[in-house]
Amino acid sequence: MTTSATSTRTIVTGRSSVRTQRAGSRHHRDQLVSWAFVAPFLLAFLLFLVWPIVHGIFLSFTNQSLTGAGGDLVGFANYAEALTDPVMWRSMWNTVWFTILSTVPLVLIALIMAALVDRGLPGQWLWRLSFFMPYLLASTVISQIWVWIFNPQIGAANNILKFFGLQPIAWLQNPDTNMLAIVIATVWWTVGFNFLLYLASMQNIPAQQYEAASLDGAGAWRQFWSITLPQLGPATVLIVLLQVLASLKLFDQAYQMLGGVASDTTRSIVQYIYETGFVGYRFGYSAAISYIFFTLIVILGVAQALITRRRKEQF
Amino acid sequence: MTPPLDLSRRQFLTVASAAAGAALLAGCAPGARAGSGAQTLQFWHLLSGGDGVTMSQLLQNVNDAQNDFFIRPTVLAWGTPYYTKLAMAAAGGRAPDVAIMHATRTVGWAPGGLLDPWDLDKLAELGVDSSTFPQPIWEKGAVDGKHYSVALDAHPFIAMFNTDICDAAGVLDSDGKLTETSTPEAFLDQLREIGGAADGHALSYGYLGDGAQMWRLFYTLYCQHGIAMELPEGGKVVMDKDAAIESLSYMRTLLDGEIAATQADYGTAVAEFATGKSGMLFTGVWELRTMQNAELPFDATMIPTLYGTPAAYADSHSFVLPRQASADAHRRDLTYQFVADMLKGSFGWAEAGHIPAFLPVTESAEYADLVPQAHYADAAQHVVYDPTAWFTGSGSNFQGEFGAAVQNVLLSGDDPAAAIDRFESRVNTFLKQPNPADPEGTSRS
Repeated sequence: MTTSATSTRTIVTGRSSVRTQRAGSRHHRDQLVSWAFVAPFLLAFLLFLVWPIVHGIFLSFTNQSLTGAGGDLVGFANYAEALTDPVMWRSMWNTVWFTILSTVPLVLIALIMAALVDRGLPGQWLWRLSFFMPYLLASTVISQIWVWIFNPQIGAANNILKFFGLQPIAWLQNPDTNMLAIVIATVWWTVGFNFLLYLASMQNIPAQQYEAASLDGAGAWRQFWSITLPQLGPATVLIVLLQVLASLKLFDQAYQMLGGVASDTTRSIVQYIYETGFVGYRFGYSAAISYIFFTLIVILGVAQALITRRRKEQF
Repeated sequence: MTPPLDLSRRQFLTVASAAAGAALLAGCAPGARAGSGAQTLQFWHLLSGGDGVTMSQLLQNVNDAQNDFFIRPTVLAWGTPYYTKLAMAAAGGRAPDVAIMHATRTVGWAPGGLLDPWDLDKLAELGVDSSTFPQPIWEKGAVDGKHYSVALDAHPFIAMFNTDICDAAGVLDSDGKLTETSTPEAFLDQLREIGGAADGHALSYGYLGDGAQMWRLFYTLYCQHGIAMELPEGGKVVMDKDAAIESLSYMRTLLDGEIAATQADYGTAVAEFATGKSGMLFTGVWELRTMQNAELPFDATMIPTLYGTPAAYADSHSFVLPRQASADAHRRDLTYQFVADMLKGSFGWAEAGHIPAFLPVTESAEYADLVPQAHYADAAQHVVYDPTAWFTGSGSNFQGEFGAAVQNVLLSGDDPAAAIDRFESRVNTFLKQPNPADPEGTSRS
């Protein structure tokens, strides 16, 4: 969101700098008009992003309750409680664990699917459509579909296990498998987006390079390793970054697939924030947990920025 | 982003924003009742599905019977979404005139001033007092000596049984009732006999991923030991661990794959019983209509007393007065009238399976003929509610935490004692936290 605001402004200022010789009043008018165009977004930005962030920090230092009670400043008590709250740490770990479990397949499978569609498979449009289609579904819909698939008695997943002579599993109810089940559903749901990014990136690679390579006698594998993969670097950085951020936001599919049940093995930090704030009414405490989580994301963001800067310096 | 039709962008934006503005304003317009000088009373509840249909009918009856007020219901999604919205409305002082809450949830709300107490004298004038309710249900309405909720019903956790299968198994007496079993072993034997006559399992009990379902059966069995759990604020949970472990182990015994399926969720269990494959179902009374619609030969009864004291885990849909910053005396009077009318007309509510709390209804000859409702009506005398604390009750975190702690005992035979310890430590963590509706603890001082 911030990027769109700054880019609008750059365009406008860039245009007005061309006209510096013209009358100052005209310049002034341009400025006004440009601010008028930015205003609707700016208003929403201040109202729904900046203000909640500032207010949230304030809330995290109070014992404000959803019911209107409390609201007294309690210093760092909420933070102290959160940092010693085993459920908070467990939820944090669940979120990180989910991010690790989901990001790896979501990048690799997307890459494989894109490579297959780009190079080999006939009927490209059909593959592109069917790989991307699940991404268009609402989280409620995919949750419902996978709840049926994972039903311990009548679900398709256990029918497949039975076919191979394996014991049925209570996928979503067994604490040993429920996170895995959510990861499987999430991969199916969102892999299409990464696939599309990879595919677009692959199709940007000039065909001449492949022609030249095959003239030199390079096979399909050689071409993939030496031409395609190296040129997917920037796309991969982008995809991993977007994916990590998306996975850290884990909430809706996990919450819905487990029917809102609190499971120690799948409760994400966002769900814990929701539970303390909206089920337990402790707004101050849930705000404090939000900011601890926010810190984690900032650290990740800074790390990512450092890595990409190093990469750029290398080239 | 191309504007549709043949409009310029500006025309389109003007029209669109005007339309959006109009829609926004329409949303703010107060609902006006056509004709008559009747006061419109706002009533919030969380009953949808079959319960919702029955509730609409009851409201219709009350509206049609008089001209003083018109009740306008607002239905919100069951559970957390409902309670969050009601709490915020009451916190803002602009709550509806009257609302339904689970009796178990009022405990967390009353101390923080989210609810106004009922004036018992005014209720008595309208024929509603302690003598017109089963004692445990009436008492549940009180928090710290004041009455905050008036129960419409009790909806206990009961046993439904397939009369054809149970008859074939020879476990029915001459009246067609389930023969009494008074020990855990006797009940197991009875279930094994039922299992012999059923195509599927003897018992359907769905619990997977459903803390509430696990808690309902557990707490029924626990309270049958003649005890109750206590959750003193700021203290530690008071629980008879032996009884808790015994209750949990017994649940595991039932789920041996022969008597009941080891892995069943709520929907699967209901479906198994509704299709006539199993002989018995542990469920809430609210599934009554599902079974009637399935045209199943069935009857219902309290869960057999296996540990000496009859107990039926239940909750009650209760009327509450959410706090209004400036409550209008006349509207309050009409609200009392409405609640009295609803209680007196609550026979229809029994059709949804719930046991009406108002004794004149359940003691009527009409109700005695209502089968199978009349066969489990005695549960109203033995209801046990969630232990009293701000974090317990229907749709709260508490039952979910119980499920998370014990599910693996039922599912894969983990150690029940360790599970009860886990549950205990979670509850003790809750007990250390202040009631968020009353963080200063004004109610305790």
